[in-house]
Amino acid sequence: MEKPENHATESETNAHKPDDESEQQSHNPTETPESESSSSELSLTQAMEAVDGFIQSLSSTDPLLEIPPSVEPFPETVDSLVSKMESSGLGRDETEDSAFILAVNRISKSVMTLRELRLDSTPVSSWLNRASSVQNRAASLLDEEFRHLLDRSREKKNKNHNNNAGDVSSDSSTHETDRCVLQEEDTFPDFPPESISTLKKIAGAMISAGYEAECCMSYEMSRRHAFKEELSEVGFEGINVEDVLRIPWESLEGEIANWISIVRRCSAVLFPGELSLCTAVFPDAAATRKRLFTGLVSAVTIRFLDFSGAVVLTKRSSEKLFKFLDMYETLRDLIPAVEQSDSDLIEEIKLAQTRLGEAAVTIFGELENSIKTDQGRTAVPSGAVHPLTRYTMNYLKYACEYKDTLDQVFQTEPEPETKPNQREDDEEYKVSAFARQMIKVMELLDANLEVKSRLYRDPALRSIFLMNNGRYILQKIKGSTEIRDLMGQAWTRKRSTELRQYHKSYQRETWGKVLQCMNQEGIQVNGKVSKPVLKERFKVFNTMFDEIHKTQSTWIVSDEQMQSELRVSIAALVIPAYRSFFGRYKQHIDSGRHSDKYVKYQPEDIETYIDDLFDGNPPSMARKRT
Amino acid sequence: MPATDFQGSFGRSLLTLRRDQVDSSHHHQPSTTMEVELDSFQRQVAEKFIDLNASAGENNLLSLDWISKLLDSFLCCQEEFRAIIFNHRSQISTPPMDRLLSDYFERSIKALDVCNAIRDGIEQIRQWQKLSDIVISALDSSHRPVGEGQLRRAKKALIDLAIGMLDEKDHSSTTNLSHRNRSFGRVKDNHHRSFGHFRSLSWSVSRSWSASKQLQALANNLTNPKPNDVAASNGLAVPVYTMTSVLLFVMWVLVAAIPCQDRGLQVNFFVPRHYQWAVPVMSLHDKIVEESKRRDRKNCCGLLKEIGRIEKSSRVMNELIDSIQFPLSEERESEVKQRVEELVEVHEGLKNGLDPFERKVREVFHRIVRSRTESLDSLC
Repeated sequence: MEKPENHATESETNAHKPDDESEQQSHNPTETPESESSSSELSLTQAMEAVDGFIQSLSSTDPLLEIPPSVEPFPETVDSLVSKMESSGLGRDETEDSAFILAVNRISKSVMTLRELRLDSTPVSSWLNRASSVQNRAASLLDEEFRHLLDRSREKKNKNHNNNAGDVSSDSSTHETDRCVLQEEDTFPDFPPESISTLKKIAGAMISAGYEAECCMSYEMSRRHAFKEELSEVGFEGINVEDVLRIPWESLEGEIANWISIVRRCSAVLFPGELSLCTAVFPDAAATRKRLFTGLVSAVTIRFLDFSGAVVLTKRSSEKLFKFLDMYETLRDLIPAVEQSDSDLIEEIKLAQTRLGEAAVTIFGELENSIKTDQGRTAVPSGAVHPLTRYTMNYLKYACEYKDTLDQVFQTEPEPETKPNQREDDEEYKVSAFARQMIKVMELLDANLEVKSRLYRDPALRSIFLMNNGRYILQKIKGSTEIRDLMGQAWTRKRSTELRQYHKSYQRETWGKVLQCMNQEGIQVNGKVSKPVLKERFKVFNTMFDEIHKTQSTWIVSDEQMQSELRVSIAALVIPAYRSFFGRYKQHIDSGRHSDKYVKYQPEDIETYIDDLFDGNPPSMARKRT
Repeated sequence: MPATDFQGSFGRSLLTLRRDQVDSSHHHQPSTTMEVELDSFQRQVAEKFIDLNASAGENNLLSLDWISKLLDSFLCCQEEFRAIIFNHRSQISTPPMDRLLSDYFERSIKALDVCNAIRDGIEQIRQWQKLSDIVISALDSSHRPVGEGQLRRAKKALIDLAIGMLDEKDHSSTTNLSHRNRSFGRVKDNHHRSFGHFRSLSWSVSRSWSASKQLQALANNLTNPKPNDVAASNGLAVPVYTMTSVLLFVMWVLVAAIPCQDRGLQVNFFVPRHYQWAVPVMSLHDKIVEESKRRDRKNCCGLLKEIGRIEKSSRVMNELIDSIQFPLSEERESEVKQRVEELVEVHEGLKNGLDPFERKVREVFHRIVRSRTESLDSLC
């Protein structure tokens, strides 16, 4: 039975009418079209007045011997009202509803008051008996109507969904999207204001009649069903712990994503909506409200916590970290939505969060372990960036997106003994527990790389390896504001300095001796340029340079900028020296035989060959001199 | 008392606690310490169950109070077990302990689902509690006299209670009835709160989950450890078997007592007599099985003592009300008063005991989870 739409206007004018008897009177029943009801309403109003007077006159000391005649038929009057409302139902006519409710309140009041008294007279007892029967009948009807009204909105909503589903004729994926969109836009719960007003009236009447328990039970039942339907619509059913542990991570990830969106919806829409409904239906009963709200959100939330609890029981592995953190954050955001409920529930949520946090800490610790245990004895060929470096830095970069959450998580962990170090002056370091963890990981990585670098017998290659990895790390840090701020200025500067040192080391190792053979000292013997010495020098230079070229062309410097910097610095070092050496001494050899045996390289050639360095070319491709 | 109370003292402080203990027993020979430890565990379990058996009198067995005690005993044993495993964690990753422990954890995870299902059952009992509360306040005769209206109110609640307490299997017909009636829209004579569909609100576990199957899985292949395993594990196989048996027993009792989905008690439960705790545990087991076979409890939805009392009181009250004619004679009035008092007694017991009991079940859940995550973390 749908409420006729034209009553909307009437309810607007009546909506804010206080349930005051005098107001009721002014809204003269003779205005109503039905003459039959007008006569009964007239007597109803008068009867209620009489009852009011009667109740007021009752005292606890004077024994009541009889019921005044104006009051005598009241139970039957109300009884016929009940019958009438039974067939027409509440929520159709606001005036009717209010009249009915007022009548019920009156009868409840009279019953309750009379029961307080000593009753020795039979007519009074009999009246009381009739009155309490009618009251019970009325309360039962109210209960029915209450539930009906609560449930009807749910059914309407389902019908809407089904209609919309029918309209979408395309494939099922669009269907799903449409449904999701519809749900997102829905307000929850979806009650029209007239219904809420009626619900409120009924609840008030039931509570006044002493039937609060029934009212609450009906409310609770209906709302729980509503929640259950809401949740199963988005695919959240009861889930066993065992099942969660059985399914592979890829599938579980999907479940987790689903869980996250559902919990978020509860935080944002469902729980606040429920609180509003509760407040609207039970405006004057704060304790009842709290109890009902707590019961509802607890029942729902515990299911969520069951799931997160089960997820935490899965094996620890590094790819799970970010999903765990997502869940942690989702729970954290749920707490404000349940603030109006018992503290027990909030404790449970925090406990679930703690579990997730502990798991996150363990998983993050896995990172440390995987660094420590990465002790391969095979050096990365060509001194390139080690996979461990890439993995670690990418992991950390991603982790930094959860900087604040990880900070919360690590703050609750007991800290192992921290070494005092020069980082104490960095504010961020002191404040952020996560920053300290990050730095720990970086230090481990550094130490590991240090060990790996010693696998290279060639000290120059060692330097290149350290440069490559150091550069990669530095670029990753600089590339993200979060990490950069976390690591601090001092740390970044230190790393840059180290890079420069490696660079210098490299230059020294590789090019020191080369430069030495272009040294002017010792070339002149007895004031004259010694040809043998010169020949030897050129020969040595050629051999060295060939060797360097052959070997170091196979080395890799991945970072383009650094590669170019290296080449430029080498060129700046070698070419002027060679040019000057070449320029000065070439002529002494030119005149002799086989001059090209000794002067292999023009200064321009040097530049060309330097450009081959660090290209990572396989040895067979080393350019041969034609 | 929030569930975290128990947690706080045990968390990471276990590390320091055990470290101290191990240090202090330095001067003992390792094997002797271990023997003492394992023996002490057996003794502790035995003591707990002897105590439980002794207090399992006619009126106390399977009462909320007694089951709470059982859960307390479980928590104690579990804590002791956890300490033993921690003390000998160097051994737990090698065979046969790795296999045995992993088996224990698998079973303990099954127990988690039982705990969740039990929670739904507790929720159901709460609904009955609310209904009996209505009966009590309706028939409150401190404001004499009890009117016809109040009687009707009580009657309605009693019928709802009776429907609600029907065993699951008998329920489907009532559920269908109530669903059908509801879909007809406004029903004037369906005054009964169709609690059938309250059961459908249980969604802690999936629809296909079965308590009896879960118990069977928990008990599956639970056998006395082989002598090879005992020797190879330096005796650690024994506490694992003990703890598993205790776990199984506790879950079995919970399923027996509290309404849950597909409740069934057919489980092969047998412990060899040579264990100190075997006799009291088996004795309790037998007593409970006997209880389940009693005529008046055979088809009940849960063997919890309080459930039986409510059922009985409410049935008697129902019959009494049916027999009443107005006006009430003094005799009738005093009868009603008496029955109400009986109902109040049961009701009070439930009212005070149910919340703490639920928290305790929750604690068991948390403790099992904790021991699992600890072992997971220790693997890393």
